[in-house]
Amino acid sequence: MPDDSIFNPCGRQEKVFNRRDFLARAGGGFGALALAHLLQGTAAGNTLLEEKRSLNSPLLPRKPHFAPKAKSVIFLFMEGGPSQMDLLDPKPKLNELAGQPLPDSFGKVITAMGEARSPLLASKRSWKQHGESGLWMSDWLPHTASCADDLAVIRSCVADGINHSAGVCQMNTGSILAGRPSLGSWVSYGLGTENQNLPGFVVIQDNASTVVNGPRNWGSGFMPAVYQGTRIQGSSEPIPHLNTPDGITQEQHRGKLDFLNQLNREHAATRMQSELEARIASYELAFRMQAEAPEAVDLTKETDATRSLYGLDEKETAPFGTMCLLGRRLVERGVRFVQLYHGSGSKWDAHDNIEQNHSKLCKQMDQPVAGLLKDLKSRGLLDSTLVIWGGEFGRTPMSEKGNGRDHNPTGFTMWMAGGGVKGGQTIGSTDELGLHAVEDRLHVHDLHATILWLMGLDNMDLVYNYKGRPERPTLNEGDAYRKIAGL
Amino acid sequence: MPILPLHVRRMAASSGLRLRRSASARLLAVSLAGLATSAWADETGDKEFFVQKIQPILNDHCTKCHSHEANKMKGGLVVDSISGLTTGGDSGPAVVPGDPEKSLLIEAIRYHNDDLQMPPKGKKLADADIALLTEWVKRGAVWPETAGKTATRGASKITDEDRKWWSFQPLARPTVPRIEGDTWSRNDLDPFILTRLQKEELQPAPPASRAALLRRLYFNLIGLPPSPEAVQAFDADTSETAVEKVVDQLLADPRYGEHWAVYWLDLVRYAESDGYRIDDYRPQAWRYRDYVIRAFNEDKPYNRFVAEQLAGDEIAGNDPDARTATGYLRHWIYEYNNRDVITQWTNILNDITDTTSDVFLGLGLQCARCHDHKFDPILQKDYYRLQAFFAPLLPRDDLKLATPEQEATYREQLASWEAKTAELRAQIEVIEAPHREKAAEGAITKFPPETQELIRKPVAERTPYEHQLAELAYRQVTYEYDRLVNRMKGPDKDKLVALYKQLGTFDKEKPAPLPEVLAVSDVGPKAPPVTIPRKAALGEIEPGFLTLLDEKPAEIPDPEGNSTGRRKALAEWLTQPENPLTSRVMVNRMWQYHFGRGLVSTSSDFGKLGETPSHPELLDWLARRFVEEGWSLKKLHRQILLSATYQQAAQNPMAEIARVKDPENRLLWRANTRRLEAEQIRDAILATTGELETASGGAGVDFTQPRRTVYTKVIRNTRDPLLEVFDGADRFASASQRNTTTTPTQSLLMINSPWSQQRATAFAQLLKKDASSSDPQAMVTDAFWKAYAREPSQAERDGAQAFLERQASLVSLKQEEPKAAPFVGEKMPFRDGRAALLTPKSTQERLSIPANTLFPTEDFTVEAFVMLKSVSEGADVRTIVSQWSGKKGHPGWSLGVTGKGSRYKPQTLVLQLSGDQAWTPQDPVEPLFSGLHLELGKPYYVGVTVDLDETSEKGVTFYAKDLSNDDEPIQTVQLKHSVTSGIRSEAPLVIGGRDEAGKHLFDGLIDDVRISRVPLPQSQLLVDREGTSEHTVGYWRFEAEPGVYRDSTSRGGDIAAAMIQAPKMDPTTSAWVDFCQVILNSNEFLYVD
Repeated sequence: MPDDSIFNPCGRQEKVFNRRDFLARAGGGFGALALAHLLQGTAAGNTLLEEKRSLNSPLLPRKPHFAPKAKSVIFLFMEGGPSQMDLLDPKPKLNELAGQPLPDSFGKVITAMGEARSPLLASKRSWKQHGESGLWMSDWLPHTASCADDLAVIRSCVADGINHSAGVCQMNTGSILAGRPSLGSWVSYGLGTENQNLPGFVVIQDNASTVVNGPRNWGSGFMPAVYQGTRIQGSSEPIPHLNTPDGITQEQHRGKLDFLNQLNREHAATRMQSELEARIASYELAFRMQAEAPEAVDLTKETDATRSLYGLDEKETAPFGTMCLLGRRLVERGVRFVQLYHGSGSKWDAHDNIEQNHSKLCKQMDQPVAGLLKDLKSRGLLDSTLVIWGGEFGRTPMSEKGNGRDHNPTGFTMWMAGGGVKGGQTIGSTDELGLHAVEDRLHVHDLHATILWLMGLDNMDLVYNYKGRPERPTLNEGDAYRKIAGL
Repeated sequence: MPILPLHVRRMAASSGLRLRRSASARLLAVSLAGLATSAWADETGDKEFFVQKIQPILNDHCTKCHSHEANKMKGGLVVDSISGLTTGGDSGPAVVPGDPEKSLLIEAIRYHNDDLQMPPKGKKLADADIALLTEWVKRGAVWPETAGKTATRGASKITDEDRKWWSFQPLARPTVPRIEGDTWSRNDLDPFILTRLQKEELQPAPPASRAALLRRLYFNLIGLPPSPEAVQAFDADTSETAVEKVVDQLLADPRYGEHWAVYWLDLVRYAESDGYRIDDYRPQAWRYRDYVIRAFNEDKPYNRFVAEQLAGDEIAGNDPDARTATGYLRHWIYEYNNRDVITQWTNILNDITDTTSDVFLGLGLQCARCHDHKFDPILQKDYYRLQAFFAPLLPRDDLKLATPEQEATYREQLASWEAKTAELRAQIEVIEAPHREKAAEGAITKFPPETQELIRKPVAERTPYEHQLAELAYRQVTYEYDRLVNRMKGPDKDKLVALYKQLGTFDKEKPAPLPEVLAVSDVGPKAPPVTIPRKAALGEIEPGFLTLLDEKPAEIPDPEGNSTGRRKALAEWLTQPENPLTSRVMVNRMWQYHFGRGLVSTSSDFGKLGETPSHPELLDWLARRFVEEGWSLKKLHRQILLSATYQQAAQNPMAEIARVKDPENRLLWRANTRRLEAEQIRDAILATTGELETASGGAGVDFTQPRRTVYTKVIRNTRDPLLEVFDGADRFASASQRNTTTTPTQSLLMINSPWSQQRATAFAQLLKKDASSSDPQAMVTDAFWKAYAREPSQAERDGAQAFLERQASLVSLKQEEPKAAPFVGEKMPFRDGRAALLTPKSTQERLSIPANTLFPTEDFTVEAFVMLKSVSEGADVRTIVSQWSGKKGHPGWSLGVTGKGSRYKPQTLVLQLSGDQAWTPQDPVEPLFSGLHLELGKPYYVGVTVDLDETSEKGVTFYAKDLSNDDEPIQTVQLKHSVTSGIRSEAPLVIGGRDEAGKHLFDGLIDDVRISRVPLPQSQLLVDREGTSEHTVGYWRFEAEPGVYRDSTSRGGDIAAAMIQAPKMDPTTSAWVDFCQVILNSNEFLYVD
């Protein structure tokens, strides 16, 4: 998909290559350039410059709608649904009423496993306030607690899906039904990316299970595939097919590319369509990616101090620590949107034995996450990097199987830090038992609108026209919660 | 920020869609007409300004609390009309046109006054929005008549202007323009095109070269490149009818349907899986795909095609084709464990409604699901009027594809089998019944109480709607039944297995099951009531068409039999010759599939946000002919293909001028050079390399098979990587157009992937095989013919030869010893990274690790992730891992899966132990049948722990976990064993076979094999705990890190070179492979003129 920002950074996708040809080659181009100038409000010269550059990539950086607070995002996705009332949202009343059924006053509840009537389950955590701000955190998060003053903890998140598939789908795409572009795709569409030699939207996961729904979570839905997320691995082949096949030397590979280039140039010469030029350029881009991507994921140059900050020297914390460190390296190199899945394959889904489950997962995640925040901060990157933590939903105050908790999309906790977020604040609240969000409820659409807003994008102005409908990332709903930035 | 520039910026930056459309339309208008005046006449400007800028702000931020629609008038104010604003609320007029400073609205949104702040609670509007509203009031607060009330329309709100919208007009009867001295036109279509071109003083391009035309025709009609022979035959035919003959030949080619079906399958979001987490395969879905292919090949009249899909059951009863066609109403996504059946059923009906309006009406109705359409004259009520046709639906899996006679014969044979097996089956029933009851209870109690009640309610007492919900919920109960035997264990299980074994001896007398199909019927003659969500007070919504076209409810004849007849009525309305949308929409789609763009470029949106037709008369002329010629798609093809318009070259000598006047080539002054679609790319590559299998029809195959892409399984969450990067449709929602993306990930896949390497190798081998001499120039020529359907120039031949020589010299520099065959890896569904693909009789049929002293001598655990593609026809075991020669009397062990000839049961996980203390002299190997059943094509974790001297049931424990389903618990089976020592083997450890050639081989994927020297407790199994411990003696993960053949523990040892060595590739051959790969990557190959 060629860049279509000449006329409109966020407008309808069309076969613009023709129009670009028109601009680039128009004999009596004055009228056209003037019109372009009129419509875009930029100097015609810039338009042409942009025109020329965009032949190389449809993902060149674009101007946001307004001054952004964050330039990039690292979304720490705790897949399966971490328990809010055991981590960030203390509920003394829950322990008081433990063993009793949910009071009738809480109304009708549909849960995934039918646990609406099960007895309430106490939280076994001990709680403390942390930092100057005094944010509450449980003893499951000792490291994160040391960053309390950087976090805005949102206790009033609301989603619609009661199952993982729908929940993960919505947290990524805004809809519980599949087929829409993911948030990362919208951001790529709206803003492009800073480093053309790396993918602009990168996804990493922590184990070999598939994230619920698989790659469609980071798919571009009805938008062109160019905006989809790229799964990378911290191995010698971070991007699929990045390496030249075994036994093919660099010279041989270069020889092939040169010959291909020669054939393609001859073919393009008589056809004059810039899509053909773009394809020629895409091979060069791939070649440059081959050079740059391995360096981006090479952690050997990191100091021991950095490595232990992320917990790389401990068996439990090393896998997610590696991912968080990769996240920092990617953001440092201009990648726009990074999503790190922890507990891929619904590992946070503690239907039974939440003690064992969450103890293990928190241990794996806590130090790396805190390490990331501290590292970003010390490098001056936290201001421009929005870090988001959370799952597709939270868990019920009701028990399941005696010692677990069921899914709960009606009130759960996420936090954000950096990227313009005012730290040390708690936003919203749930009811006394942590079942429903009551104050300052922020639906997934509001959360997405807030993330976009921090990135300088207006969720209602970011439009992609599809089948006659002006499609927006938040399905025409959602408001940015500006207080998160202290406004 | 000054207001005006802000306005301009926002226009460019924001929703833009209207702007974009009008901008490009204007661009065309300006350049075509050569006018230099501003198109922003004040009146239009104000209206557009209001519709695009102001109305959205009011809708988004104000109407929730201040509109008739929301039934809220906080502070007495409504903002859904100008009178509402100027009259104002309790505090006085909200807007004083022309005077922002006196307008309370402006004061409120500015937030300057602490007591008057709107929107409230700190949700202050963006500065840009405030500026826009201020600007609007300043300009006089123009609220155009036709803009209607904000977000609401009544029937009376369909204005005359709405009624005049082009796509709602009856089909015109245009006459073919007569053009003096027209020597260009070849048929009646052309003068329409030529007239427009001449009006802009443009000339069409000269005819395409014969080679280019033939290639275009082949890709366009059958989706494949022409063979060199076909090109030569075409060249040799100098008759005037040569093109016509080729067109007819291709239209009659069965591959025509295989290609054109894909477009339809995109439109109806056809797939073979559920599309949620579990993404279950739908084994019968392919019959619909074959139906579509057949319909295209048989040139089924389009009106019949439409009717069969919407109402096959109502118009043709038991006709198998019509029954299959109703699969159209089954392609929605489905979540097998959603306990909220009301929402799920609503989503299903919405999906059907959305798809139907997109596909057949070419109008996006989705907007009207929640409110009257803001741009098109579509009422919210219209959405539910359309939905009401589908409201009585009942998805049916029990309807079979058979004539009444076939069904009678079947029943007769079945009755006889049933009589003979009655006693056995009764015994089975006795064992199964309590388990089934328990499973059902387990499933039912997961639903909310109201749903439980519905499920338990006798069918006769349910309302139609309740029955629909109960049936939907009950699928979750039968889902449990299907897994009953698998989840049982202990003596009941053993008895059952034995009984089923016995029952199996009667299989010969059991009639072959009748073909199953995904179909629908109505829930009964009475339809459940449809109401508008949250507006039930408006009463029941009767089925009906767009109010604009027909205000009355649809006439539904009295129900016949067990159906309401509603869908039949819808089909009849859609296929009336006078329906202004159906024929236009389809004709336009067909045009798009020929030219890359429709006469209306937004082919599923004929509304106001879509484009208007570039050649309206031509569209109507074609639509009329289409209907008059019996809705024949093939006649329509001929009309288009035999036109001079279609047969133009991609190059026009006056391109420089034409580009200025019509940059998007809407007027068709040349042919567009277009990239092949994803399916075409894959198919063309396989065809060119000589690998494409020609078989047609049948159940979907894995995309690694060299079948046409249309026959590969469409699994929504696991797609062919090639389709993924080349903009294949996602099949979640109707797709009328494909994007054309150019990305480096495509290039990486095309130049580096093993798949692409293999295709290039196959192409090189084909060239070598077909070569009559070793003359490289002749082979280059052949390659050009095969890939490009043309003769290369001398310069191209020379260039190719130079490349071949240079590459060969580069290769020869680094040529070493012959290498092992390359590792063949594939991704396992629900797993990450690469798994080993093991295929009997391939270069990778098993992987062997030399024996090593750390390997188990007594107790052990062996674990792996596996996905079986097949089991053996006989008694051979599909071995997962073994350390055994396979010979009786030799010590060792082997974990595998039983075949169809097993004395136990096929597809069962089995451990064979061969030790000192042989089990019995006759059978010195002890087989331990776990009873765990592995389905083909499903990924599992499997493991077995062996405590050798433990003779109780704790001795051997099997584990299996279905990875595709998170909710599925791990299955555990414990067994006694008699071999208690002496299993230590000197044989190599073999993955996917035993230490004997050609026998007991695995077929499928194996990943992450781990061997431990102790029986691991369940908490330490690989399924939850990846990695190694001090007990691990080998862990093979098949990843680039530390190397595909390397053992991650560095204890157990690396996998020896694969069993079959790759043939040594000499520098020349290697250079040819490179050459072939470049050809397959080249634009000339991937694009068609």
